[in-house]
Amino acid sequence: MSYAYLFKYIIIGDTGVGKSCLLLQFTDKRFQPVHDLTIGVEFGARMITIDNKQIKLQIWDTAGQEAFRSITRSYYRGAAGALLVYDITRRDTFNHLTTWLEDARQHSNSNMVIMLIAKTAANVEDAFINTAKEIYEKIQEGVFDINNEANGIKIGPQSSPTNPNLPTDGRNKNSSSGCC
Amino acid sequence: MSFLEWRRFNFFDLKKNVDVGSINRALGDTNVTATSCGHGTIVICDSEGVIHLINRNFQVTTFQGYLHSISLVEQLKSLPFLVTIGEDEIGSDPLVKIWDVEKRDRQGNPVCLKSFRTSPTNKPIPASSLCISDSSNLMAIGFVNGAIILYRGNITRDRVLKQKLLRNESDPITGLAFKITSKRSHLFVATTGSILQYNITVKDKEEEILLDPDKGCAIGCSVLADTIQDFPFMVAKSNAIYCYTVDGKGPCYAVDGPKVCLQWFRSYLIIVAQDENTVHSPVTVSSTNRKKDKYVITVLDIQNKFIVFSSVIQEIIAVLPEWGSFYILTKDRNLHHFIEKDLQSKLALLFKKNCYDICIRIAKSQEYDSENLIEIFRQYGDHLYNIGDHNGAIEQYIKTIGKLEPSYVIRKFLDSQYIDNLIKYLSALHKQGVATGDHTMLLLNCYTKMNLFHKLKEFILTKDRDIDFDLNVAISVCRKSSSEDALMLAEKHGLHLWYIKILLEDHKKYLSALQYIEKLEYTEAYDMVTKFGDTLVQHIPAEFTQFLKKLCTNYYPSNTLLLDQDEQQNRYQADPQDFIYLFLNNSSRLVEFLEYLIKFSSKWSTSIYNTLIEHYLHLWYDSNDVTVKLQYEQQVLNTLQSSEINYDKNQALILCSMRNFKSGILYLLEENKMYKQILRYLLSCGNYQDVLCCCRRFGYQEPSLWIKTLWSAASDSFFPSDSLCEVLTVIEKENLLSPLQVVEIMSRSQSLTIENIYNYMLSILKTELKLMEEENTLIRKYKEETDRIHHHVKKIQNSPIVFQGSTCSACKNQLELPSVHFLCQHSYHQYCYQNYVENENECPACLPNNQKILGVIKSQEQNKDLHEIFHSQLERAEDSFSLIADYFGRNVFNKIEVNTEFTKQFQQATKNNIKDIKIDNVQINQYKLSTEIKSNKIKENRVQHNMSANTNLTLEANIYPFRESPTEISVEESLSNAIENKNFRSNTSTNPFDDYDENKNPFFDDDSQDNYEKDDNDYDNKLNPFAT
Repeated sequence: MSYAYLFKYIIIGDTGVGKSCLLLQFTDKRFQPVHDLTIGVEFGARMITIDNKQIKLQIWDTAGQEAFRSITRSYYRGAAGALLVYDITRRDTFNHLTTWLEDARQHSNSNMVIMLIAKTAANVEDAFINTAKEIYEKIQEGVFDINNEANGIKIGPQSSPTNPNLPTDGRNKNSSSGCC
Repeated sequence: MSFLEWRRFNFFDLKKNVDVGSINRALGDTNVTATSCGHGTIVICDSEGVIHLINRNFQVTTFQGYLHSISLVEQLKSLPFLVTIGEDEIGSDPLVKIWDVEKRDRQGNPVCLKSFRTSPTNKPIPASSLCISDSSNLMAIGFVNGAIILYRGNITRDRVLKQKLLRNESDPITGLAFKITSKRSHLFVATTGSILQYNITVKDKEEEILLDPDKGCAIGCSVLADTIQDFPFMVAKSNAIYCYTVDGKGPCYAVDGPKVCLQWFRSYLIIVAQDENTVHSPVTVSSTNRKKDKYVITVLDIQNKFIVFSSVIQEIIAVLPEWGSFYILTKDRNLHHFIEKDLQSKLALLFKKNCYDICIRIAKSQEYDSENLIEIFRQYGDHLYNIGDHNGAIEQYIKTIGKLEPSYVIRKFLDSQYIDNLIKYLSALHKQGVATGDHTMLLLNCYTKMNLFHKLKEFILTKDRDIDFDLNVAISVCRKSSSEDALMLAEKHGLHLWYIKILLEDHKKYLSALQYIEKLEYTEAYDMVTKFGDTLVQHIPAEFTQFLKKLCTNYYPSNTLLLDQDEQQNRYQADPQDFIYLFLNNSSRLVEFLEYLIKFSSKWSTSIYNTLIEHYLHLWYDSNDVTVKLQYEQQVLNTLQSSEINYDKNQALILCSMRNFKSGILYLLEENKMYKQILRYLLSCGNYQDVLCCCRRFGYQEPSLWIKTLWSAASDSFFPSDSLCEVLTVIEKENLLSPLQVVEIMSRSQSLTIENIYNYMLSILKTELKLMEEENTLIRKYKEETDRIHHHVKKIQNSPIVFQGSTCSACKNQLELPSVHFLCQHSYHQYCYQNYVENENECPACLPNNQKILGVIKSQEQNKDLHEIFHSQLERAEDSFSLIADYFGRNVFNKIEVNTEFTKQFQQATKNNIKDIKIDNVQINQYKLSTEIKSNKIKENRVQHNMSANTNLTLEANIYPFRESPTEISVEESLSNAIENKNFRSNTSTNPFDDYDENKNPFFDDDSQDNYEKDDNDYDNKLNPFAT
């Protein structure tokens, strides 16, 4: 499958907030009521289309447990977007968001797009795609250095590097996105 | 941190020391430096430069490969080639040797195909990693200084391999792996500090990609998972196993402990790690307390994400996947075998732990057959059901659809609180097309119970899929809840029967139902009419009749356009008889319908016409309006009289008489020539004028009509007298009945007076009197004639006869002697006479006449004895009186004799002269005969009179009540006078034969008279009922 860009995402948040379900919903479009604890980091991929361009999303679904923090930290670098997930029925998961955000900022590059997602209210599709739009805009604006793969962005094998100054349409930002 | 682990199962059995020490014996005291396996062989190299090849039976082939030592060994998986890197002397460049293990030299050792030295620099640097592609076209050697040399070309055949230095000095290389797909080739490289990937698809355009700049691994701690597409390169770090794709980082699996060795077997990842928690693990404590390093071997099922084996074990040198399972070589040189349990026992294990979801995952990944899989689903479903997770259970049960009997599931969820689940299951059943009618009904009932009408609608409309349910059931269920839906459903699927039924019974939309029927094809429309006709005719008779007219004459669906000529021939006509019953209570519509039909064509069956007549009559009978009645009457008559109409006359007659339709009855009777019936009918109507008319009309064909009329007049007191007079007149004129009978008939009446028959009797008596007079005159005349003949006879007998004929009767000439004279006054010349006659005794002139008379007499004589003929005639005769009278007239009861004896005597006496006497005698007989006939005739009359006289006596008694009326008395007197007359006469001449015999037949001898009397007496006694 050819693609114009490959964006790497990371999903972070407290354990049990539904990160794995979020990923499963996005990649397989199904819901699994009982999900095993994520041990380490899981992985999913899906193609989306933004601005008539095929974009492949590679998503790391991390374990939320404190014990795996060291493992998950190593995944921040190389991610272009982060989905910060909390459960609106659990206050502490919201409270921990600051920790997660700090973590993300500390270990990722400064341009990473971070999306805040409340589990129950989430429109999964929009969350992923709006994040991708955000990243795409940043690419167009030239914020991202697309040739540095450590940013979590890779140019597809077929497409040549696009003109970063090209004006783009479809700039509707998601107001709820916590862009950093 | 065992809670942060995947679930554990034990899917492997460990069989220890499978080689029974053979490896230990072969190795001796040396250290194992390198191991490999492939192509059915395990290869172990030791520090002395010796290579040991171990086959499946654990037989060891040992040969000296190098003089000094061997650092790396690689056996190709599918080819019999072995590549080793070692040293023949210390401090030299690593020497690569390629062996063919199947080719042996004279000592039985494998042949070394090639050997060359390899080094990235001028200095000898030890190689740390070796990798060869399966096709043996690529080989990579990694060195401790971080350099990698890539060799291209067939390593066994090509004389010179093209080599390329991929990487310059850096971290030591710890692992190399080729990932070769059909399009691309990649080389994964693990160093102590980082993970790299080289795209080596195109020669001399190798491209380096840094997959992970942070992580590296030790030697042996990286492996290529060749069965996984996406993230094939796995690297073990102390906290986790990291996976890498050709693009970058993939997932990672957290497994604690510093890893020693990583190996891939089928879909399992085998991790050997140092056991950090020896003290805490009870297993280790019990197993051994020797001062050896403890190792934990963990087998991960990457796909299903659980640990399939985990055990603490002695120090391990190598993990060797070979011969369909894997072996481990421990430090004490024992080979241990790990045997994977078969699927059944794995599943049994999982069932025990209620891990059905895992079961299913395993079974699916192992391509377990569907039937067993379904059994797992069922068990899972049962389990979930038992623990109260009905939603989950139903999910599992849905997966069993097609194999498991649905009733098994449905029974469990029949309780109303599980109705949602039941709906789910049932709709899944329908989607898979295995639902029966009962399931449909159940589902629809569930929908209605839950008030899920939108779902119901959605289900039944099935816009984008085929019907997967029984329509009939669906409609009948829908009908109960919402008939609109049912209607829609019926219309959509063309179930006309249902559609119309619902329209009629639920919606009472008769007109739209009819309109719908009109659109149907002929046969369907016909069926619908037979089924729903009665309802339709009850509610919308006018429209329905219109439709039926069309159906029976010229049907085509109303939504089709006008057909062209060819198709018009294919139009249908229903048999109207099938629909007549619909109109049983609606005669006017039926009449309208039938009239239309008859107008359309005249070739209908008789029953159609009969029905039409019947219903005309019905309407005629029911209507009160005179004009309407007249109109119908006219229509019936027209129908009856129409020559084209082929109705059954008898049935029509029955119909007419049932309704008492006079003109119809009369017409039909007349048609059938049943005049008596006409008369009877008219009489029963009491319409005497018509009775007379009828008699007048048909009296010629059927005279008995008059008599019938008379009879009815006698019994009917209202019979008008003038009509009676006419009847009597006709009877009298036509002589249909004897007056006595008339009187007798009349006498039965209670109401008729003598006045009514006065004129008749008068005229009868007058005629009688006249007749009597005439007959008396006749008698007188005959008597006179008889007397004359008697006189003549006497004269002939006693007086002299003067023959004074002057001419010959033959020649008419003057008579001359000799002559012959006859008593009949004929005279002949003798010669004339002799010439003239054959019989000389008779007068030729009288001969024909005499012979005629004689013939009659003879024939009477012959008939006389034929009593049987007489009796049979008597039986057959209509009027036995006249027959007997006829016999009397022919004198059959008398002994008729021609007096031949007398004639003979007479002849003898007067042979020449007295011949004529004889002739006259015959003549006398002739006379006698004629008089007798006449007198017999008279006698016949007398007998009749006698009879009527007898009846008169009774009549007298019967008419007794009228005696007081003076006029009647006079009638009576005249009557009795007449009777007396008759009596008198009949008394005086009861037996004319006696008279005759005694007085008037002088020719009879005594003998003959005796004979006669005797015969006569015989006769009287036996046969003559009239004799007194």
